[in-house]
Amino acid sequence: MGNYVFRWDVLWTSPYKDWLVSGIGKTLVIGASAWIIALGVGIVVGMCRAAASRPLRALGTVYVEVFRNIPLLVQLFVWYYVVPPLFGTAFIRMPNLNLYVAIVGLGLYTASRVAEHIRSGLNGVGKGQYWAGLSTGLTHFQLYRYVIVPHSIRLVIPPLTTEFLTIFKNSSLALTIGVLETTGAANRISSSTFQGIEALTAAMLTYLVIGLTVVGIMSLIERRTRIPGLYGRG
Amino acid sequence: MATLRRAWGIVAAVVLSLVVWSAAAFAQQAEPTLERIYRTGVLRVGMREAAPPFAFVDASGNHAGFSVDMAYLLAEKLSEWAGKPIRVQEVTVTPATRIPAVTSGIVDIEMGSTSMTAARELVIDFTLPFFVSETQFIVRKDSGIRSLSDLNGKIVASAEGTTNLQALQRVVQEGWFNPAAVMTVETHAMGFLSLQQGRIDAYFTDASLLVGLRASAANPDDYVIIPEAIHLEPYGWMVPENDSDWRDFVNHFFLWTLETGVFYEIYDKWMGPGSETEIPRSQAYEHYLQMVRWPGLDEAWPGRRQ
Repeated sequence: MGNYVFRWDVLWTSPYKDWLVSGIGKTLVIGASAWIIALGVGIVVGMCRAAASRPLRALGTVYVEVFRNIPLLVQLFVWYYVVPPLFGTAFIRMPNLNLYVAIVGLGLYTASRVAEHIRSGLNGVGKGQYWAGLSTGLTHFQLYRYVIVPHSIRLVIPPLTTEFLTIFKNSSLALTIGVLETTGAANRISSSTFQGIEALTAAMLTYLVIGLTVVGIMSLIERRTRIPGLYGRG
Repeated sequence: MATLRRAWGIVAAVVLSLVVWSAAAFAQQAEPTLERIYRTGVLRVGMREAAPPFAFVDASGNHAGFSVDMAYLLAEKLSEWAGKPIRVQEVTVTPATRIPAVTSGIVDIEMGSTSMTAARELVIDFTLPFFVSETQFIVRKDSGIRSLSDLNGKIVASAEGTTNLQALQRVVQEGWFNPAAVMTVETHAMGFLSLQQGRIDAYFTDASLLVGLRASAANPDDYVIIPEAIHLEPYGWMVPENDSDWRDFVNHFFLWTLETGVFYEIYDKWMGPGSETEIPRSQAYEHYLQMVRWPGLDEAWPGRRQ
């Protein structure tokens, strides 16, 4: 590697260690908070998209198309540089505004993708179930509550796992609006110490551990909620 | 059994490609820059996009500026040396990526407005200083801020990955003034935008860049550059570490531009009287440009490639 000298001790020396720890904390906060928004908004929009009423479907489609066709980076810039000035100088100077913007922007973007998964989950439960439920005297609400939704939840857990993972990876974009999360902290350590390889390795391991934890949790949920015989090797 | 054989086959393929790749990487490390430039006919220059008047993007979307002009002139001199045309490949860099771009070999030279620091010198090599800059700050005129002490309780900012940010953090720590917050932005353009929007009260960067930022505003008179310097830095161009022949070539090129007066022509084009970002040469700077020259340039340079 030419002249590069490895100094791994940089990673647990202050202030670099503090930047890294604080950065990891921010990544977790952004990812978890944005995921809550993404689920909340995404489920509602997804149900709109699969609704019988045409205006509801149109509303859902507009949301999804707007938020998934614009690159997330551009969305973050718009939320940070274009929207806050409209609310006045006091709003724009709020401390940690960039953190909140990152959470909201990331949440709304991911919600559009979650909505699509919810929609395909709802529609993926066969028409047969729908008519059979109605014909046995269930109301629409009971049909969804006891037949469609439980089934479609099992269907959407794998794609939602992907979205949950992606939200933590996408949280790194927050560094472009000044949030010192994991990747931003690694960059700052790199430019202060020139030990870029160590810093980036730390960032990489952080995301890997977060990702594996997410996958572990979702696998647990998947196994606990599996309906034997429903499909595959269940 | 077939699966086991296939597994070993994959392992062998991975190991072989790793060996080949690292050999190629090492071979690339070992090749001197001048030789690579000669072989490929390309001079890869790292260029900033928002560091006027040294390197920026003009209205037509082209890279322009003092260091950009110098880059093309350098390529001309390389063509003379090589005996064949050497063309410039412009590679965009930011304050955060400019050093990795040089150390990893993505660019042969970074020509912009990089401050020379001892820490950076350990990982790359700087060419002779071509400019000296001070870290100052710019404010909105109507904010009433006219000195460092007026910044108490205000929000200040600088660009991530710059020595200006490190200087700012250091003086705040040492208690020169007490801001409400020190924020960071990715580029000078974003920093100036934040100032315009009222998100921050002062943006810190090199005085020369502040002049460029202020000039690029629609209403330059609404902004004031406060000449209180918190830091002093020479600018140099960056070349890969331990490549003396290449660094000698660029240094001799710089001295040649001084000897022939081309340096002053290009300086006056971008920073001379009447230009958009006028930065008068101080007496100390003029003396430096005289003292740095050494004799015998004509006989030794650019020569012909052996």
